[in-house]
Amino acid sequence: MTQIELWVNGNKHQLLVDEHDTLSFILRNKIQLTGTKVACEQGSCGACTVHVNGLAVQSCITPVLKCVGKRISTIENVADKGTPHPLQQKFVEKGAIQCGYCTPGMIMSTLDFLKGNPKPTRREIEEGLSGNLCRCTGYKKIVDAIKEYADEKLSNSSDKFKMIGEGRPYIEALKKAKGEADYTDDILEKNTLHCKFLRSPFAHAEIKSINFKEALKVEGVVDVVTGKDIPNKFGVLPISEDETALAVHKVRYIGEIVVAVVAESEKIAEKALSKIEVKYAPYKQYLDMMDSIEDVKENEQIHSHSRFNNNIHKKAELRFGDQKKGFETSHYQVEREFDFEGINHGFTEPHAAIAKWDENGLTIKTATQVPHYLHRSLAKVLEIPMNRIRVIKPYLGGGFGGKSDPFPHEIIISYLAIKLGRTIRVRLNREEVFLTNHGRHPTKMAVKMGLDKHNKISVLDADIIIDGGAYGSFGVVTSYYNGVLLQAPYELSNFGFRTRRVYTNKPQSGAMRGHGAVNSRFAVETILDELAHKANIDPCQLRLHNLISENSITLGQYRITSNGSKQCLETVMKQSDWKKKYGNLEKGKGLGVAGGFFISGSALPIHWNEYPQSVVHLKVDMDGRVLITSGASDIGQGSDTMLAIIVAEVLGLSIDNIFVVAADTLLTPIDLGSYSSRVTFMAGNAAKMAAENLKQRILEAVSKAHNTDKSEINIAKERVFSNDKTLDISWKEAIVFLTNKLGAISTSGYYNSPKLGGDFKGAGAGLSPSYSFGSVVAEVDVDTDTGEVKLLNIWGAHDAGKAINPLAVEGQLEGSWHMGLGQVMSEQMKYYNGMLLNANFLDYKIPTSVDTPSIHTNIIESIDPEGPFGAKECGEGAIHPVLPAIANAIYDALGIRITSLPIKAEDVLRKLKELNDGE
Amino acid sequence: MMENKYLIAKSCSQAIEMSKSNPDFSYISGGTDLMINKYQKNNISKTLIDLSEITEMKNLQIKEDKVIIACAVSLSELEKNKKINSLFPSLNKAIKSIASPLIRNSATIGGNLLCDNRCMYYNQSEWWREAVGNCLKCEGDICIASGGKRNCFAKMVSDLAAVLISLNALVSVVNNDGEKIIPLEDIYSGDGIYPHSLSAESILKEVVIPKRDSKVFFKKLRERKTLEFTSLTCAISVRDNNIRIVLGGVDPKPVVLDFDKDVTIEEIIVKSSKKCRIVKNDLYSRKYRKKMIGVFIKQGLKKIL
Repeated sequence: MTQIELWVNGNKHQLLVDEHDTLSFILRNKIQLTGTKVACEQGSCGACTVHVNGLAVQSCITPVLKCVGKRISTIENVADKGTPHPLQQKFVEKGAIQCGYCTPGMIMSTLDFLKGNPKPTRREIEEGLSGNLCRCTGYKKIVDAIKEYADEKLSNSSDKFKMIGEGRPYIEALKKAKGEADYTDDILEKNTLHCKFLRSPFAHAEIKSINFKEALKVEGVVDVVTGKDIPNKFGVLPISEDETALAVHKVRYIGEIVVAVVAESEKIAEKALSKIEVKYAPYKQYLDMMDSIEDVKENEQIHSHSRFNNNIHKKAELRFGDQKKGFETSHYQVEREFDFEGINHGFTEPHAAIAKWDENGLTIKTATQVPHYLHRSLAKVLEIPMNRIRVIKPYLGGGFGGKSDPFPHEIIISYLAIKLGRTIRVRLNREEVFLTNHGRHPTKMAVKMGLDKHNKISVLDADIIIDGGAYGSFGVVTSYYNGVLLQAPYELSNFGFRTRRVYTNKPQSGAMRGHGAVNSRFAVETILDELAHKANIDPCQLRLHNLISENSITLGQYRITSNGSKQCLETVMKQSDWKKKYGNLEKGKGLGVAGGFFISGSALPIHWNEYPQSVVHLKVDMDGRVLITSGASDIGQGSDTMLAIIVAEVLGLSIDNIFVVAADTLLTPIDLGSYSSRVTFMAGNAAKMAAENLKQRILEAVSKAHNTDKSEINIAKERVFSNDKTLDISWKEAIVFLTNKLGAISTSGYYNSPKLGGDFKGAGAGLSPSYSFGSVVAEVDVDTDTGEVKLLNIWGAHDAGKAINPLAVEGQLEGSWHMGLGQVMSEQMKYYNGMLLNANFLDYKIPTSVDTPSIHTNIIESIDPEGPFGAKECGEGAIHPVLPAIANAIYDALGIRITSLPIKAEDVLRKLKELNDGE
Repeated sequence: MMENKYLIAKSCSQAIEMSKSNPDFSYISGGTDLMINKYQKNNISKTLIDLSEITEMKNLQIKEDKVIIACAVSLSELEKNKKINSLFPSLNKAIKSIASPLIRNSATIGGNLLCDNRCMYYNQSEWWREAVGNCLKCEGDICIASGGKRNCFAKMVSDLAAVLISLNALVSVVNNDGEKIIPLEDIYSGDGIYPHSLSAESILKEVVIPKRDSKVFFKKLRERKTLEFTSLTCAISVRDNNIRIVLGGVDPKPVVLDFDKDVTIEEIIVKSSKKCRIVKNDLYSRKYRKKMIGVFIKQGLKKIL
């Protein structure tokens, strides 16, 4: 250790550091400048960017001793005494901030490269940002913000009372831009212990013995935990609780937690891990999903509860109409097999949690999308009542489905907090995040479709195998979604599917943006394209011809209400100049189209009960401010802002009079959380109801006080007035009437999904009170020498019902398309003998700013009859069409079909050769 | 237990002195690779000797017949130097293709030239390498990438090495024996485990690039247009009757080939591909990388001949 002086943001710090400490470690842990984020630890993402002597560097790979005597400047130093820097202001205003975890790094990088090039082109900005990863935005709005800042474009001042339909920055955006938003690992707690995990190096093995005596002797080690200490099972779905916090008796994947060490520091815990001896006796390992559907010998089952003598976790099968007849009457048929690698959410904020036990019971702050399910799981596993558990979600750096399960690390530190009476913190590194996974299932499927003589889809059959990895997660739902979410946006008369989800000895798969249907949608849209060619009809025309209409019922009895699918498709056709360009571009260049649809919230709750799916409370006191409390989790998608806008709209307020407290199971009413694209529809409706109830109370109070009929009174622009203006008082004056003699007033709103669907087994899967629709046209340029695919344009349109906050909706759509193109172009979970080969942001290839094509965003508004102000989902559904649109564009460019993802240049070349050889 | 040390040298001779009294050392310049190797415990040196503040290693001299770039010059500084860009366009292209703008702010010329060889079975965390059964490069018994060979084929990934060798660059090396100037290609050993044939205390002080009127080409294979290390780097220069092709990322060292202009492209491709010892050590297949050698050479020669 050595004593140093470090100049940070103009202040001198005397510090005792290890000679090899990194700058990011010191900034975050010794100087508490947590605006500097760490997301990859290996210089691959730019989240930790700071300035050293004015130059942007990544602090996670900069030795702190390199910085002695130099001027270090962090995001906290960018604003001028509380006045945000104009660049920060632009990031806020342009919607360049979603989860906000990459934002400080983005801003620090930008401020540096603009010094050398103050008037950059968009292309130059993309170049400048090409070391900074963002998983939320698709970079478009970030580039917009920087461009406007560089061009010194003035902001448009908007009417502060315009709410629904007016693009608005997130209420917390400035906090994120200034590095002041505390994500879980940024939160300071006194006297904490740190937890680290020993993970299995075997894919499938019996644990013969664990010896941690030497680890306990390490000075500073407080306790060691193994599987037998916390043996109760859990899982996000009550129907498939198959996981324990630490491995009990056996391990099922490389990376599974076997031992947890808790110590006075992370370094001590890490040291102690190396002193633990675990003996394993390997079992036969199942790494290929095809092996898992076969019968196995004794002791070879991954889980003994699998119903048959194999490793199949779930079989889902539904059939409608008469598929046999459908094939007989089809004029054209196409059958193809598809193969998809698994992918990971790649959220920038690694999992982190802090647990504490005191007289109020257990409090856990954790990066979760669903506080409520964690709440339930903790109660079950730790056998403590729910009223002794409080789950708090701090600011959260991206989820995309990857933070929606209860996780072992959350359970382990909660157990330790109770046992030791100390505050315990844990953060996973990027490798551990990848090993924890719950990402998109690797998938194989055979899909067959037919077209009748009228060019109507006569039949669809899908036989699907999904690789669940070692545990259940959302897998039962995924199994159904792969099939049932094919029954729109096209009308089907004969349709069936079978999905088998298998266990393998790999990190578990789960829910990820577009849950369950991304891969099967790819297959169907690829085959539709092929059928269009066979039938010699334009692929867009074929789709338009087959779209299901609004106010209709699908084959599996989904109720389709609003439906903007036609408008979506027509919009992207027009914008891409489809009619002129399709089929007419030079060789190597091509255009492709695809459609999609998605649920707007699952109508069925995971836990069967009569509790509403969302509840929102409002409180107003004499100061006139309305407090919204909601259990909904803002994970960067902007749900807190959505709630604020809805309440402000109903009550005629500006955002200044709204305050949101969310995702705290003590303070906020239960909400089922951020998954299945449910929050705007369900929590939005609950917020609207709560606001309308409050409005009625205000009208009643004012009516009584002013002796004016309620129906004559209006509320707008923070005034309460009668039609004839004989009554015209301020909002605050009205609230005084409301609170006189009563004090603060609370109202409540809730959302229950209507009873929907058929009464056959499996009818509940995919039921939603509303569905979103979308289309994408993609343009590619393929290098026929190398097989490399270059994306030129994405034209996308998505029917979001009504955009409550268009800025946020655009951000969701752009992020979805970006994530989808990542899965097509470069992302995959790559294994070697059960070991994940690319558990870092260098080798797991999320597209950067220079890999992202021009994105053209269109919001389509079909005004849903039941959505709040007509709104429905926009956070997931948009991803579906982008993948097959790109593959179909490659067909237009070269005449080859892509049937496995990600697209490999090598496959493109091989297929080209086969085509040229006439195979 | 020995304490970690971080020593900042003010001159090459001081750095060498420091290395003598701290035998468990690594030199560090920008640190962009070394710090990751430390994080992954591929580098466990107790002492880091920082060369980036040595004045004589930060010069950039443009002379009549040559350019001398000291090795602690950062990649971004070199990238922004307009004179050098116009003198050596393929060098500029290579620099722009290295890592990301952020990394180039810290990374130095010398660090890039001496970047450790890479393999996807080696550039992993300590836990990972132990779980898979350590490979040759981390004191294990077999090469995982090649499926059991007794030699390590971790790839040389310096894009600067490829392009500078194509430009006939020399380097000055300072060590116990004094300073000497040698062809850049001579510092690469061809051994994946110990890829540099320099004694431990040696410091790569300067790169000397002769000014010559050459036609040049540079191309790099990778999945994304930024961040990634090379899967194949192809640098070509043509001067008078000589065609020089240097390939990186496909062998433990830069593969250097000289041809006369009358040799056919086909022959050049066959000979070049044959000389590369590619193993499956990145996310592209071996076959594809091999095929791309031909494609890149063809593209390059077509463009400049």
